[in-house]
Amino acid sequence: MIVTYNWLKQYVDFDFSPEDLSHRLTMAGLEVDAMERLGEGLDSVIVARLVSVDAHPEADKLSICQVDTGSEVVQVVCGAKNHRTGDHVALAQVGSVLPGDFKIKKSKIRGEVSMGMLCSESELGLADESEGILILSKEFTPGQPVFEALGLKDIRYEIGLTPNRPDCLSVYGVAREVAAMAGKALKAPAFSLEEQGTPLCEVASVSIENAERCPRYAARLIRGVKVGPSPQWLVKALESIGQRSINNVVDVTNYVLMELGHPLHAFDFNLLSGGQIQVRCASEAEAFQTLDTQERQLSAEDLMICDGERPVALAGIMGGLNSEVNDQTLDILLESAFFSPVGIRRSSKRLGLHTEASHRFERGCDVDMVPLALDRAAAMIQEVAGGQIAPGVLDQYPATLLPNEIQIRVASCTRILGFELSAHRIAELLESIGLSVLTKDADGVRLSIPAYRPDLEREVDLIEEVARLNGYDNIPVTMPVGSLEVSTPSPRLQARDRLRQLMVSLGCNETISYSFISPTAWDRLGLNCEDPRRKNVAVLNPLSEDQSVMRTSLVPSILETVSRNLSHRILDQRIFELRPVFFPTQEELPREEYRLCVAICGRRDPEGWSQSSEQVDFFDMKGLFEQLQAAMRVEKLSFDSSASEPYLHPGKSCTLKVGKKVIGTLGELHPSVMQSYDIDRPLYLLELDVEAFLAKASQKTSFKPISRFPDVSRDSALLVDEGVSAQEILDILRGASAKHVEDIQIFDLYQGKGIELGKKSIGVRVRYRSAEKTLTDTEVVRAHGKLIDSLCRKISAEVR
Amino acid sequence: MRDNLEIMLQSACSALTSAETEAQLREVRVQFLGKKGELTAIMKGMRDLSAEERPLVGDLANRVKDTVESLFEERLALLVQADIARRLELERIDVTLPGRATNSGSFHPISIVTDEIVKIFSGMGFGVAEGPEVEKDFYNFEALNVGKDHPARDMQDTFYISDDVVLRTHTSPVQIRTMMEQPPPVRVLAPGTVYRRDSDLTHSPMFHQIEGFLVDERVTFGDLKGVLTRFLREFFGDDLGVRFRPSFFPFTEPSAEVDIQCVICSGQGCRVCKQTGWLEILGCGMIDPEVFKAVNYDSEKYSGFAFGMGLERMAMLKYGVNDLRLFFESDLRFLRQF
Repeated sequence: MIVTYNWLKQYVDFDFSPEDLSHRLTMAGLEVDAMERLGEGLDSVIVARLVSVDAHPEADKLSICQVDTGSEVVQVVCGAKNHRTGDHVALAQVGSVLPGDFKIKKSKIRGEVSMGMLCSESELGLADESEGILILSKEFTPGQPVFEALGLKDIRYEIGLTPNRPDCLSVYGVAREVAAMAGKALKAPAFSLEEQGTPLCEVASVSIENAERCPRYAARLIRGVKVGPSPQWLVKALESIGQRSINNVVDVTNYVLMELGHPLHAFDFNLLSGGQIQVRCASEAEAFQTLDTQERQLSAEDLMICDGERPVALAGIMGGLNSEVNDQTLDILLESAFFSPVGIRRSSKRLGLHTEASHRFERGCDVDMVPLALDRAAAMIQEVAGGQIAPGVLDQYPATLLPNEIQIRVASCTRILGFELSAHRIAELLESIGLSVLTKDADGVRLSIPAYRPDLEREVDLIEEVARLNGYDNIPVTMPVGSLEVSTPSPRLQARDRLRQLMVSLGCNETISYSFISPTAWDRLGLNCEDPRRKNVAVLNPLSEDQSVMRTSLVPSILETVSRNLSHRILDQRIFELRPVFFPTQEELPREEYRLCVAICGRRDPEGWSQSSEQVDFFDMKGLFEQLQAAMRVEKLSFDSSASEPYLHPGKSCTLKVGKKVIGTLGELHPSVMQSYDIDRPLYLLELDVEAFLAKASQKTSFKPISRFPDVSRDSALLVDEGVSAQEILDILRGASAKHVEDIQIFDLYQGKGIELGKKSIGVRVRYRSAEKTLTDTEVVRAHGKLIDSLCRKISAEVR
Repeated sequence: MRDNLEIMLQSACSALTSAETEAQLREVRVQFLGKKGELTAIMKGMRDLSAEERPLVGDLANRVKDTVESLFEERLALLVQADIARRLELERIDVTLPGRATNSGSFHPISIVTDEIVKIFSGMGFGVAEGPEVEKDFYNFEALNVGKDHPARDMQDTFYISDDVVLRTHTSPVQIRTMMEQPPPVRVLAPGTVYRRDSDLTHSPMFHQIEGFLVDERVTFGDLKGVLTRFLREFFGDDLGVRFRPSFFPFTEPSAEVDIQCVICSGQGCRVCKQTGWLEILGCGMIDPEVFKAVNYDSEKYSGFAFGMGLERMAMLKYGVNDLRLFFESDLRFLRQF
């Protein structure tokens, strides 16, 4: 809602400064989003009186004027013809900057000094075109800024209204709030109305078929108007609040809409068949052309204003083209009605048609404003467009809407606000915005709620008004009392936080990307048709196709992140995302599961004068995962290389399993997927089902005693078939039940020169230790021999 | 003999002082004090001395020996020191070369801000709750006093999954879920991801909020002001100006918008605060009786407050980030700064 300082002053005599008013409005819940000074910066353009006008000795078309600025007489050279001695004109003094960054300087024109410029309307930005200079009223005092004299200096406030305050969708409504702040009376607009000619009821009729949707409908007739341009004051008034002038009749309805907040509609009376107005619902699928020339498909839910034959307006939303006021219009039927909010909202939403009128009706208008707005507009139309107002009003109001009555208890008010206001004070505050006290005692006040405040329905609504009017600043600051039960976050949440911390301590950067992705992502990853991740929760109204399904994997997002960073020449990346994914279910809501996705590429170590420039590989990623595993104490987990993901390198990837359950995958990105994401270097990915992983985390830490005896290590180099996996070797060694084994490591892997084709050399280091004694060489040799034997037996390993 | 001893002492002293290395020094020691050294040789003359003279000369010989020994030790220490100093000088490195780095990770600024806020509120007894991001219309709107025809639905453009399922537009549904599960008193914080159908310079279709609420007997608007003022001052700084002004949310009554003194210009007026000196930072209010009705709390017995704030905004103000989109572009040049 836009209001101006001067316009508000018409209804309330406040003396706040413009800044103070802005602050007070904001603190009263009418947040001022913007404050703009109209006519700003033109204070040096002043009213001046022409003392003399003489011909310029050197130029026929110029005149030399002596002008009285109120404090001195200066000489100005002027090129216009329409000024005479004694006229009051607009003088742009030296130093003024006119619209279009036109700077006024002291100058010499054909040898004559000119101390400024006499301005035309267009030069002052008051009109698009103008002839000659602006001649002002002689009532203005020389020296006064022109914009001030013309009443064009004003302050425009743009108020961001909350939807509960339809009463402030008008200048008058905002003025009511200002009056309450200032402790001043609110003055209703003053006007007089004169009726003439044949009574209205003899030529027109109004009937309401659906009184639930339209509780009140009133109309007046103005005969013999002349539709044309509006007078300047009306144009300026509308402009001051950002509205454009259309014609005098429409401008009046808009003016009254902005002034009083009540939507009105003007029909060309002679286009209404039989002078009849009927308010009823449309027929299903009926077509109707609204004022904006759009053809609209109606439904039986839409309330229509009809004449004797056909619909002529979409009630409370927009008029029809068939009865629009035009240049030839002579007689005007003016509508002022009240429509119920929900119906208007539904029609407006369904038709996608939001107007100033529908905006107000759907939030709730003031039913008691119907006759006042009608009379105000009729009188004003007569003033600006001539004509006669037919005697009488057709005012159909079958069932009077009774005002709401609410009791507010002092105790409730204290209980909610935390400090006590007396019944007297409560009454005083609420009366300041027009509520009337019905009864009052020490415990509470019973009030009648005016129709312009449909938001006040319950006691708590009044408590808010009391708090608001008394000032939120005046509510004492306290701390809650009560039991301080310290609650710890759920184990799930804690474990997730721990995982996030681990990832950061492992040198990874956390990312967050949108939960919705493109459904084509699955094709880019090469998922097969049956892959469950292709079944997505889809957004019905996405912003774009690229953001239309809820992701079932974090991989597409992380690949895009990697790719985008590579394009910024960030070649070494270690990133992770820990966020939910969404799977459709038989239930109403999808299943949300947290995933951890990690991607690494580039150098293993940061660049540096003494750092290795080796690139990461599969085992960096695996090592990273194993660190998570160790930190979270997840045991009994296996790496299965027989199956992984279609988007991973088949030879450098594996699934992570707990028993038979796959809880994640790990590996190098497949070359064809690299290409489709524009990733030009090996990338290693991990995706982990966080809940499943953490479900296997051991909560217990149990201490094992430390042996006080020394250890003995034995290394063996073994020649085995290339196809034998490290896991097999370790499994055999661990299963061999040799005594005193403390730890088994694979410390070397070699293939190439000196090793026959199809074979590889594996270095195994076993550490032996006893808890009871220092081991003898014999004991160690026996144990180690047993281990090596089992390898020789089971996988035909040869000792090198 | 006395003279011999005196002469030996003098030559031993000069030999010790002129020894340049530890080895030379030890040689000198052997030369004078060794088994076949000069002292031993001189001492052979003892037997020729008279009984009176013998103890006197013996005494002198001992003193000479002690003097040489202590000079030796002194000199040895000096040489060892010099030796170490020489070695250390050779080992000198350029300490201005950068240290050997390991990869350093970083939390997303939203995670950092979330943690910090959770920590501050947990100091005031608030626990943490979560709820689904894809949510029923009932929890996201209906139970929060936002019916299908409520004009407040215009305030939030919603992504729909079906007629009755939405991407939650705020974290407030967690309030409903929590209250339906447990009776008062409750003090809960609900951080989470939310979605609104809006995308431009200052709006992201996905962003983060923290919702907080407290319900108990005798909870007042004054308490709401107390808790939030304390939080904001802990988060942004001790003497931060905070103001509460009336606003509207369907699920709170009275409702308030909380402004803080602009942290960019300290309230002087700048572009960020649109010259007002104030920044809108969070919405809050006393929980509406309609909400209590939906979760079966007795609004005559209990009262409570709720608040919600945007985490991106908190992070932007805290770190001076000037572009909302940075939070979701995952540009490592951005993320590595936190």
